[in-house]
Amino acid sequence: MVLLSFFIISALMGISVVLLRNKTITRIITLSFAVMHIGFTFYCWTNLNKTELTYFSYNSLGVLLLSVLSLLSVPTVYHGFVYAAGDEVKKYNIYHAALIALMTFMTGAYLANGMTVLWIFVEATTLAVAALIYHDRTEMALEATWKYVFICSTGIALAYLGILFLGFIYGRKDAANLSFASFSYIINNANPLYLKIAFVFVLIGFSTKMGLFPMHTVTIDAHSVAPPPISALISTTLMNVGFLAIFRVYTLFSGSSILPFMNHVLILAGMLSLLIAAGYMLKAKHLKRMLAYSSLENMGLVAIAVGVGGIGYYAALLLLVLHSLTKSSLFYQMGQLSRVLHTFKLDECGRYMKLYPAGALILIVGMICILAIPPSGMFITEFLIFKGLVFNDQWFILITAILLLCFVIYAMSIRIMHIVFSDPRNELSLRPPDNVNAAETISQFLFLGLVVIMCFYQPPFLVDLINQSFASLPH
Amino acid sequence: MVNYLIVLFAVTLVYFAAAERLLIYSRLIGLQGLLLCGIALFELKEINTANLIFIASETLFFKALLIPYLLGKIISRSGVTKVHHQAMPGFYLLILSIFALLLSALLASSLVNPFVNTIYMAIALFTLFTGLLLIVTHRLIISHLIGFLIIENSIFIFSLAVGNEMPMLVNIGILLDIFVGVLILGFFGLRLKPHTNELTMLKD
Repeated sequence: MVLLSFFIISALMGISVVLLRNKTITRIITLSFAVMHIGFTFYCWTNLNKTELTYFSYNSLGVLLLSVLSLLSVPTVYHGFVYAAGDEVKKYNIYHAALIALMTFMTGAYLANGMTVLWIFVEATTLAVAALIYHDRTEMALEATWKYVFICSTGIALAYLGILFLGFIYGRKDAANLSFASFSYIINNANPLYLKIAFVFVLIGFSTKMGLFPMHTVTIDAHSVAPPPISALISTTLMNVGFLAIFRVYTLFSGSSILPFMNHVLILAGMLSLLIAAGYMLKAKHLKRMLAYSSLENMGLVAIAVGVGGIGYYAALLLLVLHSLTKSSLFYQMGQLSRVLHTFKLDECGRYMKLYPAGALILIVGMICILAIPPSGMFITEFLIFKGLVFNDQWFILITAILLLCFVIYAMSIRIMHIVFSDPRNELSLRPPDNVNAAETISQFLFLGLVVIMCFYQPPFLVDLINQSFASLPH
Repeated sequence: MVNYLIVLFAVTLVYFAAAERLLIYSRLIGLQGLLLCGIALFELKEINTANLIFIASETLFFKALLIPYLLGKIISRSGVTKVHHQAMPGFYLLILSIFALLLSALLASSLVNPFVNTIYMAIALFTLFTGLLLIVTHRLIISHLIGFLIIENSIFIFSLAVGNEMPMLVNIGILLDIFVGVLILGFFGLRLKPHTNELTMLKD
């Protein structure tokens, strides 16, 4: 009943925001939604592994990712208020209604306990994200939205083909919702070719959401024009939705003979993602696109971690959590940077330390965290991935991955340092900088602080939840 | 009867490779909608009547009427009638299409399954490959849209193959149709400039 109430109240809040046409009421409702979301997450923690409404369950992995979304909810809402403050009422309200819808759909996707319900919620997120990317109503926004919707639709169509192949394996009326539990006991007897095809379709399809190779382009373009708080969600919690969908199928098939095949495919996808991220980051001229490629790099590492198996599973899930906190901080900071410098073009950025010291500090600490340089908690995750590769004797992958990460570190650090300390290369097009209150960076410092603390201490409740999330996988 | 309809459906796919006019593409999509409606009516014998009526009417309304209508509107707005000045020549596409048919037949024969008819599997795979081919070999946005609609039809055929056992899968496939029909064609299709391939503002 609690879950149903959550969905109904969320829907009512979204509809009220659109209908009431008042910015103050919109702010109150949106903030109330974020608070309600946090309360709902607490409820999920106290009811772990409980099934509700037949199609949903408060499973460990779902609750872990839901907690990340809850953590991000209030800062995202706050930065959204700031970003959209100058908009006309209708545009302002559509933005917030779509934000409420997106967070509700992501919640549904995290908690779905069957493929079909998960797929429906993933499809629904595309609608909400489309409305948010199109927020500025420019030609570029239209192009980005079009690409996003088209590629995502193709992706979810392919993912659906994967689900249909699962249906061919089962082909019985008593598993109409394709719940994960109903499949677990027939996978061992299924035709491995069907399982392989289903996995490849699901991987390609949901990689539109995870931002993984080969469908990574969709999120890169979306970041160029999406409002920064929305980029923060697309690059973190929405990517987590894509990961969750792939990981669910991976877990389901892990008891079958195709486990080595899945691991190889994931490592291949991960390495290609790393390669593309490194290549494009070296020539990036747009700050948000550079961060988007950094997300591609991190998702590549997550895929490699899962492919490695063993300690890689823990590393993958911890990396997802820490990446979400770090990348969202950097994207929130992009909103402030654009208000100070009025641009995302690297050639026009510079002297940030002088213009906005708090923001410059976020960029430097954020860079250290995202590049997994100690004392970033992400260092632990990458260390575990490399340890797993050594353990599996996958030396070629290890060396190539380290080499590609060196390119990523070089590309990002040289650009961030230029923004913070150097003069802009193109001074002519500069507008006078605006003042932004340093207090706006509080949430970013908090998140980055958490990432640093995780390098030295990972709380037992988090470790337990992560361990439970992959407990059914072979070690 | 179902087999005749499926073979006729495959013929429309080969025609896609040979056709040059966008209007023909739009009509072929409409014809495919009609054929799918017929296949659904003959194939889904075991599901309840209300669900069957819903599926048939959705196929007729969305696939055979609304989507071709929206495509026609986009084509008339764009003023472009032929595709091949911005795409791979039809001859090569036709050869690729035949290869895709052979590959589909081979794959289908190796994917024998008690729940799925081999001919269903072969044609559904051929439909999927044709859609992907159109997207890859054409540069016009409208051709990409049509490629995607063909992929949609492939999914519909796949879902019909297990429709009697799992009607929910067919209904979810319909959800995808509505999503595409309304959002992609109705909203974005009419706002973009379909005669161009200039979606290049966003690049590195």
